[in-house]
Amino acid sequence: MFAFVESTRMALGAIWGNKLRAGLTTLGIVIGILAVTLMGTLISGLDRSFEKSMSFLGRDVLYISKYEWFSKQEWWEIRNRPDIKVEYVEKIKSQSKYVLAAAPVTMRTADISRGKETAVGINILGTTTEFLQTAFLNIDDGRFYTEGEDRSGARVIVIGYDVANILFENENPVGQKVKMGRYVFRVIGVAEKQGKFLGMFNIDNRAIIPFGTYQRLFSRRGWMRLEVKVDQEHIKDAKDDITAILRRLRGLHPGEKNNFAINQQDAFRQQYQTMKLAIGGTGIFITVLSLVVGGIGIMNIMFVSVKERTREIGVRKAIGATPGSIMQQFLLEALFICLFGGFVGVILALGGSFMIDKYIFPSAMPITLAIISLVISSIVGIIAGLAPSYKAARMDPIEALRYE
Amino acid sequence: MVDLIKLRGVKRYYDVGGEIVRALDGVDLIINYNEYISIMGPSGSGKSTMMNMIGCLDSPTEGTYEFEGEKVHEMDDNQLASIRNRKIGFVFQTFNLLPKLTALRNVELPLIYANVPREHRLEKAKEALEKVDLLDRMHHKPNELSGGQRQRVAIARALVTNPSIILADEPTGNLDSKSGVEIMNVLDDLHDEGNTVILVTHEAYIAEHAHRTLHILDGKIEDDVRNNRPKTKIIIQEKNTST
Repeated sequence: MFAFVESTRMALGAIWGNKLRAGLTTLGIVIGILAVTLMGTLISGLDRSFEKSMSFLGRDVLYISKYEWFSKQEWWEIRNRPDIKVEYVEKIKSQSKYVLAAAPVTMRTADISRGKETAVGINILGTTTEFLQTAFLNIDDGRFYTEGEDRSGARVIVIGYDVANILFENENPVGQKVKMGRYVFRVIGVAEKQGKFLGMFNIDNRAIIPFGTYQRLFSRRGWMRLEVKVDQEHIKDAKDDITAILRRLRGLHPGEKNNFAINQQDAFRQQYQTMKLAIGGTGIFITVLSLVVGGIGIMNIMFVSVKERTREIGVRKAIGATPGSIMQQFLLEALFICLFGGFVGVILALGGSFMIDKYIFPSAMPITLAIISLVISSIVGIIAGLAPSYKAARMDPIEALRYE
Repeated sequence: MVDLIKLRGVKRYYDVGGEIVRALDGVDLIINYNEYISIMGPSGSGKSTMMNMIGCLDSPTEGTYEFEGEKVHEMDDNQLASIRNRKIGFVFQTFNLLPKLTALRNVELPLIYANVPREHRLEKAKEALEKVDLLDRMHHKPNELSGGQRQRVAIARALVTNPSIILADEPTGNLDSKSGVEIMNVLDDLHDEGNTVILVTHEAYIAEHAHRTLHILDGKIEDDVRNNRPKTKIIIQEKNTST
């Protein structure tokens, strides 16, 4: 076997001699690798923030509401569904052994003010104490309200992290009074910082008041959902139980469809998987396309290179180059051009992922992806170089030496 | 002792668009060590094919070719490459140096294909350049050298593997007469040092440097003449004509 080091040296020398051409040729590869690595970075970042968001929705929590989160049904089929009622909570808790906790959650938007400061458009949740379990909520300062306070309709409020920051810049909010419209509430706790859900909904921009209080002050009707925490070993059973209970409560006949929805984190997961597939598919499509185009470009330039260097090939053969060594030299040349493109692509992608990390969402380019990219570009290089190198290797030295 | 080169009934036919061209049509030839041979003939005579055949760039359609006992006519491409590398030093009319490599790197090239380790290669390449008196130019690229110097680099490249024959195809064809003389002196010296030199030329005064001249016509050796003229005389003649 012809010394690999020498072939490498020759190949690199030839590329160096045609820097600009090699650089331009490799653009397709650069774009291909850039596409695949950036896509990978994007997906890894999405995964990360998705998983973080999903931690707000427990895997073992069922969300019972009027509509499905991602409904495939037509709106007119589901618009007449009856509202979810708070009475269901007790029935579900008493009739299914898999249910660990259940809380009704109702919500409206309101402004909360304190003196001159106003927190505008805060989501006011009315719920029971079991919400602490279904929503994985931790209280930073102070406490959550008690069942007694809930039942008696006490004017106490637990505020989100952002609300606390707006209204109480440098003070401890616990024990202070805030106003919501004409009602005065006493702040008893501040929820820990939770961030945004799927990068869109700010969970810290809310306040929680007892369910009893909510119903007394605002409305007994309106939108409501039930959050049910179930035994995580029996999520499916719990779902079946609850479906049966609700169907019975609503008097649905066996042939009728459910007129309520039991949502789960899985719904988001499925939705997310679909989206990820779309992003991944697009990325791979772009990648394959540019790699094919790039590969053909490289093949083309290698054919040109072989043609141009016919004389050189003749000389090398005359002084003892075997077909194998010529093949190796040109293959390595194609390989290095592609590998160089791959490197440039990866480096650009590193820059790109840094920008994504800084300005869009936390993400990092997976190192395996960088390695895979380089392997892919090497493979493209070898495939693209195969035909031209073979042509060079098979060249008749006499013809080649005579070539002008 | 085996003959250096032994051709027996060598034929080389080409198929050019359905027509058979008999470039070599039955050649018998023996060349011994330290011969100084010139091959002459008009264009189309088969002279080039003869050279390619001796240089192991081509294989006979028929007949046998033995190089120091090795059966060239049975060799595949890799074996041919190997024998060219080890045993034959080519000198071309158009020099055929690689333009992007320095003189030293050009001379080093055959040793790379011979898998000689790097340190040895440089050492040997320098030795070869010293023989053609170009050590001071070893870091120059071909386009920084004169025609005569380029051909001397090419000769150094041919010498560097210590080949059994030096095969020079019109070595002075692209040179002015002064450089031509210079190159012929180098070749003469190489022969004097014990090398076997084969010249292909159509210039009679170049052919006269050799001690044996083969005249090729229609793919056959028409004449095989030994000329015993003293070399020095010719050189003086040439020097006179070139000034």
